[in-house]
Amino acid sequence: MIYTIMYGFTIGAILYFISIGLSLTFGTMRVINFAHTLIYTLGVYFLVTFMAALNGHIVLSGVLAVLCVIPVSYLIERFVIRKLYGQSVDYTFIATFAISLIGVDLIKRIWGVNPYPLSDPIGTYLTFFDFTFPVYRVLIIGIAIVLFFALEWFFRRSIIGKIVAASLDDEDGVRCLGVNVKRYFSIVFVLGSVLAALGGVLYAPISSIQPYMGHSILLLAFAVVIVGGMGNLRGTFVAAFALGMVMSVTARYWSQGAEVMVFIVMGVVLIFKPLDL
Amino acid sequence: MNSILADGSPGKRSSDGERYPALSDRHGWVSYVFIAAGFLALVPILSTHRVTDFMIFCIFALSFDVLYGFMGRLSFGHILYLGTGAYAAGLFIRYVDKNPVAAVLLGVAAAVATGMIIGPIVVRTTGACFALINLAFNQIGFFLVLSPLREFTNGEDGLGVHAAQIGFFNTSSPSVMFWFVFACLLAVFYLLRQLTRSPYGLMVRCINENESRVRFLGYNTFFYKWVTFVIASGVAGLAGTLTTLNYKYVNPNVMDVHSNVGVIFACLIGGAGNLYGALLGGVIYMIISNTLPRYIQSWEMFLGISLLLIVFKFRQGVWGYLGDLWSYYQRKREQGKS
Repeated sequence: MIYTIMYGFTIGAILYFISIGLSLTFGTMRVINFAHTLIYTLGVYFLVTFMAALNGHIVLSGVLAVLCVIPVSYLIERFVIRKLYGQSVDYTFIATFAISLIGVDLIKRIWGVNPYPLSDPIGTYLTFFDFTFPVYRVLIIGIAIVLFFALEWFFRRSIIGKIVAASLDDEDGVRCLGVNVKRYFSIVFVLGSVLAALGGVLYAPISSIQPYMGHSILLLAFAVVIVGGMGNLRGTFVAAFALGMVMSVTARYWSQGAEVMVFIVMGVVLIFKPLDL
Repeated sequence: MNSILADGSPGKRSSDGERYPALSDRHGWVSYVFIAAGFLALVPILSTHRVTDFMIFCIFALSFDVLYGFMGRLSFGHILYLGTGAYAAGLFIRYVDKNPVAAVLLGVAAAVATGMIIGPIVVRTTGACFALINLAFNQIGFFLVLSPLREFTNGEDGLGVHAAQIGFFNTSSPSVMFWFVFACLLAVFYLLRQLTRSPYGLMVRCINENESRVRFLGYNTFFYKWVTFVIASGVAGLAGTLTTLNYKYVNPNVMDVHSNVGVIFACLIGGAGNLYGALLGGVIYMIISNTLPRYIQSWEMFLGISLLLIVFKFRQGVWGYLGDLWSYYQRKREQGKS
């Protein structure tokens, strides 16, 4: 059982990395970004490329992979999403979906469809009473918790964070103060993409790498955002870990049902707390 | 009526009758002749079997158009109802009775029932949330068929479905299937056309334009949205049962989540919010998806780029474009007279 909880925390941490960007882009820009997990997949593929180029130096190649994602996500924001601000949600939805189709096709062209194997980069185990945990998973959870506090600090203390948090509440009000809100939106978008790529880089060694890896996790991330509340950072944190736990506990008793259980929880949440979007 | 409809943003659709005078109610029967002639003309070009396939997809596109074009709710999981119909019919023929007509009725009933159960949950949401919840339900359905119901559905391998012959209704004959699907398509088109032109259809459009105003006038919008959702699922279920009968085979691909993009593309390229647009879009999509992969390797890339182009440059779709062209031509002719 303790392994199940451990596994749940790991999944929760990865879901948190990915869904924070979705939650932010929705909360600030009212954009549902289907291309979000394209960035996640792209981060993973950059990682694989740099690993090969740098003789398997994982920390450095991870950092480089996350940095490489920044221009890509900026281009997506600048040339597609920014043109669709304030229009019907459907159009941004279709447009970002189109981007993800194009992106996946490009990934297939460049890196091929075959899955890449990556092994646990640390490989040591932590023995704690009678249980052994892979250190790598403990590390992921640690990073997620640090990230949570870092984001809390960012949105409460730093000026960029304050502006973004204020425009989550009232965009027009912030604009009336003479702030160029759109610039901050693109910062938020890039930040969210970087976090998604980070999640991908961290998760890659313990999952399989293939061009469609983003599709399956996207649905889970959407479920997290819906359960946690769009644009609600703390809610996203709690929901990510709660749903990660739901997944791992379900998987223990009924291995194929893990993902479906998440959607059932999401359905139940929506019945009692319908979102008015 | 116009005062409600006209205050939306400039790009919004108005009702077909005014915008496309050539095909307004007065010439009702002409449009059926055109549609019938169009599909019959396709038969010599392509094969009978393929045109049947086209028409089934058009039925599905029509059902999606009711949901997206008229009610303004973009669903990313509408194919769930097609799959429900397909599987209900397939399982019925396989395990209960080989009567194809009963299978069609049962498939539609199953899709309607699924829509009735899921409807109350999903229609309370709008926009992105609606799309995502439908997507989640679609994923659940796909999973159910693939894994827990494996004993009945045979998982990924699918089911072979052979219906019996009833009178002259022999589903293994391509021409009989063609005429059956043809009749179904015209019937669905007739029903949906009557529906969208009725006061009820007007109400659905009004909900699309501004739901809170409609609610303010004292209407129970929830009920209207639910009924529309159920109708759309029923029609999609009909398309599903026809798919099963046509291929004599059903596998989980009929409710694959990723196939949803096809119908969205069809609806957008044809012109959303218009039944003729949905038909035209269905045919265009099927022609593209049947011929293009032969010449272009990266089909997803093409789909992605054309979706982007539609969103940015071509929102009114082919039918809307033709309508604009027609009104331009008429204006020009009137100027010429005076």
